Amino acid sequence: MGNARVVAAASAVFTAILCTVPWTVLRAGAAQEGTGPGLGTIRGTVRVETRSARRLATAGVYPGRAVVLAAERDTSELDNVVVFVELSDPVASAPRRAVIRQSQEEFVPHLVAVTTGSTVEFPNDDLIFHNVFSLSRAATFDLGRYPRDESRQETFREPGIVKVFCHLHSHMSAIVRVFDHPYFVIPDRDGRFSIPDVPAGTHRVTAWHERAGNVTHDVRLTGGGSAALTFSLPLADD
Amino acid sequence: MPAAPTARAPRLVVRVLTFAFSVIACVLAAVFVLLSWQTRAGVMRAVADTIETSQQHFAGIERQRQREQLLQARGLAEAPTLKAAVDTYHSERDSGFPVDQLLSTIESELRKLQDWMDLPALSIAGTDGVILASAGPEAGHWPAGSRVRTDFDETGDPVDSIVERRDRVYRATSVPMTLGLDVIGQFVLASPLDDAYARALAADAGADVVIVMAGRVIGSSTSGELRDAIERVALPVSGTVTLDGGEFVVQRLSAVDAAAVYAVGSVTTASREATSEVAFVLIVAGGFALLFAAAGSWWLARTVAGPINRLTTSLAHMAQAGELTQPLPRTGGSRELDSLAGTFDELRTAIARAEAESEATYLGVISTLANALDARDPYTAGHSQRVADLSVSLGRELRLSGTDLETLRVGALLHDIGKIGVSDVVLRKASALTAEEYEQIKLHPSLGARILKPLRFFEAQLAIVELHHERPDGRGYPYGLRGDDIPLFARIVHVADAFDAMTSARAYRNAMPVETAVAELRRVVGEDFDAGVVAAMLRLPVVTRGSRAGAGERDGDRSLSLVTFPRLDAGTAEGAWDDTGEADAGLRRAR
Repeated sequence: MGNARVVAAASAVFTAILCTVPWTVLRAGAAQEGTGPGLGTIRGTVRVETRSARRLATAGVYPGRAVVLAAERDTSELDNVVVFVELSDPVASAPRRAVIRQSQEEFVPHLVAVTTGSTVEFPNDDLIFHNVFSLSRAATFDLGRYPRDESRQETFREPGIVKVFCHLHSHMSAIVRVFDHPYFVIPDRDGRFSIPDVPAGTHRVTAWHERAGNVTHDVRLTGGGSAALTFSLPLADD
Repeated sequence: MPAAPTARAPRLVVRVLTFAFSVIACVLAAVFVLLSWQTRAGVMRAVADTIETSQQHFAGIERQRQREQLLQARGLAEAPTLKAAVDTYHSERDSGFPVDQLLSTIESELRKLQDWMDLPALSIAGTDGVILASAGPEAGHWPAGSRVRTDFDETGDPVDSIVERRDRVYRATSVPMTLGLDVIGQFVLASPLDDAYARALAADAGADVVIVMAGRVIGSSTSGELRDAIERVALPVSGTVTLDGGEFVVQRLSAVDAAAVYAVGSVTTASREATSEVAFVLIVAGGFALLFAAAGSWWLARTVAGPINRLTTSLAHMAQAGELTQPLPRTGGSRELDSLAGTFDELRTAIARAEAESEATYLGVISTLANALDARDPYTAGHSQRVADLSVSLGRELRLSGTDLETLRVGALLHDIGKIGVSDVVLRKASALTAEEYEQIKLHPSLGARILKPLRFFEAQLAIVELHHERPDGRGYPYGLRGDDIPLFARIVHVADAFDAMTSARAYRNAMPVETAVAELRRVVGEDFDAGVVAAMLRLPVVTRGSRAGAGERDGDRSLSLVTFPRLDAGTAEGAWDDTGEADAGLRRAR
C-alpha cells in the first residue's frame, strides 16, 4: 500500500529541491557569510520576559546542609530556550557530550540540547543522594540513586524532548532536547544565537521554551549567506 | 392495743400516723419536685456548656485537621513520579505523541497514593482543568475527561471547594502541581459530603453532625425527623436552637462555599442521663426520708395515743370492777392528759360522794317506808325488822352471798309495804276476818309490788314483796306458784314472816312459844313452807335454844338500828300469833 505514497512524496521533495536550489544559491552568494558553499548561518536574538528570580516550590529538605536557593543563583530564562531548525529528515552529526550537574538540588543547566547518539552525564555535586529518571517516550530510563561525586550517564538515541526528574526531589527537573541534526543552539545570556552551516534554503526556525512553547519563523537562507531572526517568547510572569 | 376500736372512728394512732406522714410526704414530694426541676435546669445548662465547649474544641481540631489535609494534599501532589509523569504527559501531548502509557503511569501512581491514604477520591487534572486520571472508591464520579475548576488564587495554596458531581456533593481540596514556577497540573482530593462522612465526623465530635448546603441537609448522622427540623430553621454559627421541641447546641465546624458542617448536640438527651442519675439519688434519698418520716410519725402517734390508751385501759378496768375508789394513774404522757386524769379523778370523787348520798337516801326511804308501815299497828311494830333479821339469818344459813343477803334484808324489810293500801279496820281487826276482808288482805303483795315498781333500786326486791305469800303446794297468792317456781328469797321471807307472826303477840292472841311455832312449821312443811328453808330454820340458834325472847334480842340491832321500835314482850302477846300474814289468815280461819 505504501509504495505509491512513497513515490509521490519523493517526487514532491525532489521537485521542491529543483525549484529552490537556484534561489538559495543566489541568496547565499549575496550574503557572503557562509562557511562553505551552500551553507549559511542563521543568527538572531531571543527575547523572553525574564523574571528576576526563580523560586523553589519547596524549601531545602536538609536544613543542616542548606542549599543555595535558586533565587540566589545567577540564572536566566534564556538558558532554557533552544533555537533549532525544523527538518523533516535527519542529518547525520557527531555525537556530543553534555553535562547536567546535580547541584544545590537543581539540575544545572536546566536544559541541554544534544544530537542523537550523544551522551549526557549527570554528576552529583550535592552532599545528598540524587536520582535521575525519565518517563519520556524519546528516552525512558532510571539511573538510580547515587551519592556525591558519583556520576551516571545516558546516551540519547531518539530525537525528542526528554524530561528528566529526580525521584528524591520532586522539584528538580531538567530537559534534554535531542535532535537528529546539528542545527540547534541555546542562546547566550544576551539572547543572541547563531546556527552556522545550515544548508541554504527555506527553513522553519523555532525557538522553544518549556512554558512558552514554540515560536516559529520561516527563513530563507542562501548559501554563504546569513539570515537574522528575532524571537520574542511570551513568557507571562505567572 | 387495748383500746377497743369502734367501727366508725379510726384509731388515734392511725389518724396521727396518717396526718403526720402525709404532711411529711407532701413536703418531701414538693422538695423532690423542686429539687429535680432545679437540678434538671442546672444539668441542662451544664450539659449545654459542656457540649458547646467540646464542640468548640472539636471545631478547632476539625479546622486544624482540614488544614492538615490541605497540607497533606500538597505533600501528595509532590510525589516525584506523579509530577514527572504529569509534566512529561504535557510535553509529549504537546509534541503530538501518544500519551496512553503516561496516563496509565499517572493512574497507577494515584492508586498507590490512594492505597496509602485511603481517600474517597484522588484526581489529577491537567493545566486546562481536564481530569487525566482518578483513583479511589468515588473515582467513578470523577472520570477522566471531565473538568474541575481551575480558578486558583495567586498564592498557589490549596483551595477548598464544594463540588456537585452527578447528584453527589463533594468537598474538594485542589492543589496546584508545580514544577519550579510552572503549574503543571492539579491534584484533587475529594470527599463526598454524605451521611457516612457526617457519621465519621460525628463519631469524633461526640455529637451529631449535619452537613447543610443552601438550606438543604445533604449529609447527616441524625434521624430523619431531626433532619427535616434542621431544614426548617437557620442554624446559628454557634449557639442553641430548638429543634423538634428539644434543645440543641449547634456549632459550625467548617464552611466552604455554600456548604457548612455543623455539630448538633441534644441537650435534652445528654441531660436525661445526668437527670436520671440525680433523680435516682433523689428517689433513694426520698425513699429513706419517707421511711424515717413513717418511723417518726409512728413514734409520734405512739407518743400521743399511748398514754390515752393507758388511760382508757385504767378507766375500762375501773368501770368493769365498779371500783371508783382508786385514783387514776398519771400517764406522764402529757400535761393535758394528766390534767384530764386529774379532772376525771375529781369527777370520780364527786360520783362516789353522790353515790354514797344516794345510798343514804335509799336507806332512809326504806326505813321511812318500813317505819310508816309498822307505825300503823302497835302489834306489828318491829315485825318488818324482825322478819328482815330472821331472813338474813336464814339466808346466811343457806349460804347466800353478801349482795344477796342485802337484797334479802331490804326485801324482807319491805315485804308488807303493800299493807299501806289495806284499810286500818281490816288490818287492826281483832276478831276473825270475813272472806271479803281476807280478800282485801290478800291484795297486799300485789299492792306492794305496785308501790315499789317505780323505784328502780328496789327492782331486786319486787319478787320478794310480790311473792312472799306463795306456797310450795300452789295454794298461795297472788299467783299460786308452785315449788321452785317461787324465788328462793320469797320462800325465805315467807317462812320468816310466818314464824315471826306466830311468835308475836296479837290483839286477838298471845305470842306462841317457839316450840309451838316450830311444831306448826314442821306440820305444814312442804305444803305451806319450803322444806329447805324450814330445815335451815330448825338449825337456827333461835330455834335450837328454844327461846322466843332470844329472837328479839338476837340481831335486832344489826344493820337497821334506825328501826327501833319498842318490842312487845312475848308474855303480853301470848295466845295471839296470827296477824295480817298470809298463813296466819289461813291459820286464823282454820282455828
